[in-house]
Amino acid sequence: MATDKTSFQLVVNGILNENPIFRLVLSMCPAVGISTTVMNGFMLGIAVLFVQVFSSCTIALFKNVIHPRIRIPTYTLTIATWVTVIDMVLAAYLPEAYAKMGIFVKLIVAFAIITMRLEMFACKESVNASFWDGIGMGLGFMFGMMALGFVRELLGLGTILGYDVLGFKPLLFFVLPFAGFFCVGLMMAFFNYIEIVYKRAKRA
Amino acid sequence: MHTIRRILLFLAIVLALPVSAQAKDLIADQSFGKANNEIVVTFAAVADRAVVENPANYLVYEEHDPDIKLELLSVVLSADQKTATLTFAEPLNVRVGHVVTIDRLVESGAAATFKVAQPYFGYLLSILISALLINNFVFTKYLGLCVFFGTSKRKDTAKGMGFTFTMVIVVSAIMSWFFYQFILKPFGLNFLQIVIFIGLVSLTVQAVDTVLRKVNPALFNAFGVYLVLVIANCVIIAVPLILADNEYNFFESFMLSLGAGGGFLLALYLMSSVRERMELANIPPTFKGVPIAFIVAGQFALAFLGFSGLSLF
Amino acid sequence: MKDILTIIFRLTVACLLAGLVMGAAFIVTDKAKKHNLHVNEQKVMFSLLGYSAKKPAPETVALHEVYRYIVSQGDVLNVGYLLPLQDGSFSFVTVDLSGAFVAQNPVNIPAEKVAEEGERSQAILASIGAGKTIRYADQTIVVTNGGKRTAYLLPGKFPGFKTFIGTILAVDQDFSILGLEIMEHEEDPGLGGEIVQEYFKNQFKGKPLETIKKLEVMKTPLPEEYLRVLEADKRERLDAEEVARIQEQYRDSDIYALTGATISSSAVTNGVKAMVKKFAYRLEILDRVLAEQHIAVPF
Repeated sequence: MATDKTSFQLVVNGILNENPIFRLVLSMCPAVGISTTVMNGFMLGIAVLFVQVFSSCTIALFKNVIHPRIRIPTYTLTIATWVTVIDMVLAAYLPEAYAKMGIFVKLIVAFAIITMRLEMFACKESVNASFWDGIGMGLGFMFGMMALGFVRELLGLGTILGYDVLGFKPLLFFVLPFAGFFCVGLMMAFFNYIEIVYKRAKRA
Repeated sequence: MHTIRRILLFLAIVLALPVSAQAKDLIADQSFGKANNEIVVTFAAVADRAVVENPANYLVYEEHDPDIKLELLSVVLSADQKTATLTFAEPLNVRVGHVVTIDRLVESGAAATFKVAQPYFGYLLSILISALLINNFVFTKYLGLCVFFGTSKRKDTAKGMGFTFTMVIVVSAIMSWFFYQFILKPFGLNFLQIVIFIGLVSLTVQAVDTVLRKVNPALFNAFGVYLVLVIANCVIIAVPLILADNEYNFFESFMLSLGAGGGFLLALYLMSSVRERMELANIPPTFKGVPIAFIVAGQFALAFLGFSGLSLF
Repeated sequence: MKDILTIIFRLTVACLLAGLVMGAAFIVTDKAKKHNLHVNEQKVMFSLLGYSAKKPAPETVALHEVYRYIVSQGDVLNVGYLLPLQDGSFSFVTVDLSGAFVAQNPVNIPAEKVAEEGERSQAILASIGAGKTIRYADQTIVVTNGGKRTAYLLPGKFPGFKTFIGTILAVDQDFSILGLEIMEHEEDPGLGGEIVQEYFKNQFKGKPLETIKKLEVMKTPLPEEYLRVLEADKRERLDAEEVARIQEQYRDSDIYALTGATISSSAVTNGVKAMVKKFAYRLEILDRVLAEQHIAVPF
């Protein structure tokens, strides 16, 4: 039942067709809470990428040994292990970034996206395919977070990656947490709009 | 209805426990006064004016700084000789406990020592209100959103999810507290927090599932399907992490988890009420479904910002 | 039955594997984490004293750590100080609540371990004898240059608008403030979170002890000329005389509150006020006891 997609297609799939944030509507918590700057989005994206890739590969590696009745606990254990590892690594080597992300790194363990991916993909596919799928999903998440972070940082603080671009703060409330809801909602509507236009164009 | 009344009674008793442990013999009551540099003491019996109104008989310090004596300006005893108001030179830091010793209060010359602090019950309630409103886990902390958006379409699903979630989170928070205090901390295994906590949650969900199936099948049919979703909820693991980080004791953890569950239920209920009505509204196609739900959630979050800084106790 | 056994077996193996991976990661990263924390604190402390990468501290500057504890024996409370001695060893000096000397006990602990709270407490308990318990209160760092005291660094934590605000305060020998650094806080970003900005923190610089004792918060807007002096990059464009004059003018004024964050501003002001007052009081007692008992400390 191996997938016949190439590695590249897997990656692109993760970023576009099955983008975790905008299409699959999963892992919303960090999207709203942490996407205040591009850097934050990038860092959390790296963390999620790490966990996703390592978990996918681990499960794909052991897929024949995992007893079907304890599938879910095994996934949870794997994810929790890798989350703990990345949590410790970030705390040790990137303390400022880690401080900004706060509790969200530890919460990666509850992200539905990772468990779902393991259930739907990694336990059936080869290690290689799982690896690239993991990269795709992780990149999709990172892309979504960075896009949100870009909008919020630019409109809220007038900076991009910390560089003062506008010289003033247009709408400070965009970096306040609740604006995350507005931003995600608007971006989703935007994606919907593109899809509708695309479909309309295809029909015509 | 009956069970809810019983639960509330149990809660009331549980909460009264820490308060009753603070009674004293000579002093009937003590609290901070209305002005920010006052302490008000009520004596159990009529007090000797000469002793009570002499600032030299008093020793007052903040709980954690016993070597820094606070300067007492004057003490005024009320007409009925049972209530004394202590006025200090500097404003008091009411957030910390203060220890007051009055020398020669009794005939035998013994000193009476008591602690003045904001009522513990009030502190516990403030944790509850904080988790419920001020730091609502959905609208202020942005956790548990996936499940939130998934189950807030109808009032019934919202109620079901909310109650199931509250049950699971209270039980798993208590278990996590035990594990943290007696296993993780003493052995320095803090890095296993994430694994242990999520493990406990899974265990709780499994246990609730089995118990509910046997004990109350009707309830299980109504709520059982939400149990699985509980694990995917960020809040369920955020609560044990927070209570470990803040080193809460048993009562505080209980309050936190209750507030978290209650806040989630509240958020779900509010959201579902709005979404049910939105189904009938004229929403542009690009916004239909999840996008408009997000915008509504954003407005709720904005409204909940108004609770920021609320302090009732 | 066999099924359940296989499940249990495989689950246990999985848990053990997971435990090994995490344990390994922990051992590797823990050292790095502690090292980073330490380096960061050192950097902050030196910058508070006026040194930086461009102007490094001279060899003659030394930091001496003094740890304060509350010692309880039954109902009796005393204050204990863990001090480094001139000869490199450590001593625990106990003083009672009114400032009278009680006891001095040598503490057996190597210099590298003294920064670890657990090791420190154990060593102190071993030296003061049975029947007593100790509770860690706070830490003071005495800065000397060539053996003479130049400044004190006070790490401290006090309640803010939301939870706590952790700071490091630097004061000179006369207890005027040399600098304030906010290490951690949970205030609202954009509002209370602005306490980390230079135009707020630098208002505390240079205030003498008498002003600090009565320091309050004003809700009037910050004057433009004062703002120019408070922010480093703007200050460099003014000439030194002008800067000195403005600093002198505002030295004894109260703190200008942050817009929309009066409570956070008051929290920091009251916290700093309490820290300095309590420190000045305690240091006087400690110095007197050290002099009376002829305890040879390197500061």
